[in-house]
Amino acid sequence: MKVGAYLTGAFGQSQVLYDTRNAAKRGRGSPEQVTAQILADTQDVISRQKAAGLSFVIDPMFRIYHLLQPLAEGVPLEHIKDPKYRELVQQVLAEYFGIKEGPQENWFNNNVFFRRPIIGNLKTSAAGFTISYLHPELLLRDGKAMAVLPSPYTAMALSMYGNKNGYELPVEEQRSVIADLAQLLRAEAISLANRGFKRIQFDEPAIAHRQSLGSLTKNDLRLLELAMKYCGVIDNTTVMLNFYFGDVGPIIPNICDLSVDGINIDMTETRLDAVLNHRFDGMELALGLVDARSTNPENPQDLAQKLRRVADLSAPKALWLTPNTGTEYIGWSGGLEKIAILGQAMKEFEK
Amino acid sequence: MSNLFQTYEVGSLPKLAARVSALSTKGTTATEKSIAEFARYGNMAQVDVSQALDIFERQRSERMPLSEAERTAVIDANALINTRLQELWLDIVYDGEGRRQEMYREVVRLIDGFKFLPEWIRSRGPDSWNAAVCISEPRLMVSLDELPVIKEFEFVRDHASKPVKVPMDDPFMIANMSVDRHYKGVLRPQYENDPRKLRYEAKRALTLALAQNVIRPQVEAAVRGGAKWIQLDIPSATIDIEHIPILVDGVNAVVDGIEGIKFSLHICYPRRVSLTEESGYELLFPHVLNLNPNVNHFSLELANGDQYERDLAVFARYKGQRKFEIGAGLVDITLERQDRDLIETPETVRDRIARAAKILGDHNLVYAAPDCGLRQLTMERSLRLYEVLAKGAELARRG
Repeated sequence: MKVGAYLTGAFGQSQVLYDTRNAAKRGRGSPEQVTAQILADTQDVISRQKAAGLSFVIDPMFRIYHLLQPLAEGVPLEHIKDPKYRELVQQVLAEYFGIKEGPQENWFNNNVFFRRPIIGNLKTSAAGFTISYLHPELLLRDGKAMAVLPSPYTAMALSMYGNKNGYELPVEEQRSVIADLAQLLRAEAISLANRGFKRIQFDEPAIAHRQSLGSLTKNDLRLLELAMKYCGVIDNTTVMLNFYFGDVGPIIPNICDLSVDGINIDMTETRLDAVLNHRFDGMELALGLVDARSTNPENPQDLAQKLRRVADLSAPKALWLTPNTGTEYIGWSGGLEKIAILGQAMKEFEK
Repeated sequence: MSNLFQTYEVGSLPKLAARVSALSTKGTTATEKSIAEFARYGNMAQVDVSQALDIFERQRSERMPLSEAERTAVIDANALINTRLQELWLDIVYDGEGRRQEMYREVVRLIDGFKFLPEWIRSRGPDSWNAAVCISEPRLMVSLDELPVIKEFEFVRDHASKPVKVPMDDPFMIANMSVDRHYKGVLRPQYENDPRKLRYEAKRALTLALAQNVIRPQVEAAVRGGAKWIQLDIPSATIDIEHIPILVDGVNAVVDGIEGIKFSLHICYPRRVSLTEESGYELLFPHVLNLNPNVNHFSLELANGDQYERDLAVFARYKGQRKFEIGAGLVDITLERQDRDLIETPETVRDRIARAAKILGDHNLVYAAPDCGLRQLTMERSLRLYEVLAKGAELARRG
């Protein structure tokens, strides 16, 4: 059984990057200075992941404000200074891709926000929207690069279609929308795999969250199943489906049957017992045992012990230790501490 | 009829540029233009700002940081301008939170047991905020006499000629915006194999500790000083849908046993994309039915969505069990509207009041307010919003 550790989402910005951004926002600095600082900080975070011995390396995503931004925006527009020109570019992109950024909402149960995509006539073959937000020249050097994309279900549920919410559309419309999104995201995953990304993680907070709130239906699970048939298996890369911001204990049997290489479970929401009660034969399992929303440091020995129990009882094809989500909620220093904990836990496990 | 549709501000006004520059730690000074602006608003508010203007001019020529007395004089002048400008249009006033830096930091910096994270957290787009970590039981680290909110309230009390509403942070809001390290650690052994229960109980313990040790003492001090209406600010009320019962526990821990005072809650931008069957202000129910009876008023953001019937339907649905007054948000305070120079008319405000009164079934329950505080807008626009609000309320009173 392969065992390892890696990060799963956006990293907290450094105070220098905050200051640089703030200066640019207030006209005291330039977008070029922001870009340079993002590059320096990205190099630093990537180096630290490697130094800690993490199995996959991700971009800290300092150019991405929220998970759905690249999908809805298409290309980064933050450096277009003239608001009128930026609006014009946005309009052209929106018409071409059939999707654009909409109103602002809370990102699940966090004090941070995202912009809802507004979906029209989606161009399902328009792959390549993620790469310009990342730093492939830094990521793709040693065959460990991982990229994060939104899962089709979450993208569908959080998007707007006219004045309607995706999660409230009639079932037939949902099936049609999710098929389109899944085709688009499959094309995107293939494009990333062809560039050399060895792992694609589809983020699926909406299913987990609805499960926790008692709102998940059989239809939701069928939609997820449909989506994963499109994009859960991609040549030359492994595909993980990352469930977070909710307890998926009761639906582990369902998500184990999905057409995907592996699943990631938020263990700050799902009980360990729920995982230990299942076997994950032939499937990779990533456990978000490291709490990315608390600076409380986990005990590496305790983490290693939990991994051993899961390895013994649940027998996945590969077992990974991860944070439950991106560490962006606890800042740069908090994120570095969590990287160190991941590395230390792996050393404990190897003992 | 004159008491119908009383108007009030939710909280903040923008700080005048001269004040910001003069008090900055970055060595800036007020410009000629910003000094003229300060004088103009002083004149409009009929406040004697000559001392502040002298301070600005002297600082410009000497390039020296202000003394403590000079800082106080400038802050007092700006706060008094705010109160007087509000009195030109509104029925219930405060000082536009003119002494506060920002709602969260302003209180958290007074708490022993909280430590700011070394870096600011990204929140929306390029904006960030300075979150703090709870590392031990939170306690106020200043004496009640030195509490900024008390000094602030006493100044307004001594200068305002209209009724006053005091905005304060709510404990659940602080808990939602903070990173908890202490209570999760303390409770972990008890809830080792139930992480959701751990998260809930830790949030509850933190909220109650903040309520009892930090917010309630400030409320009690304000009440002793003569405050008659206190507003607890909970913009993040519905962030964690499963934790809304904690909001109620926290508010009750602040207000239980304090009699003769009106309490209200300000809530804005609720989760309208909740991923559940209920959304927006519906998420507050039925939990808020358990609020202390003295908490009988909600100040709500409504103008931004302009869906008064949908947003307020839940209050109508439960009115057989409990009636709440609604401080209806009647003017949109977003920057996007300012950038496009869009603003409501008095007639729009009048119609929105009528819509709110109709759905609630009782026009006596409706107060007139902006959606939220105005600190991110210009002063000029803020005053235009006040004017529209006041004129719209007057039109509504005439029917």
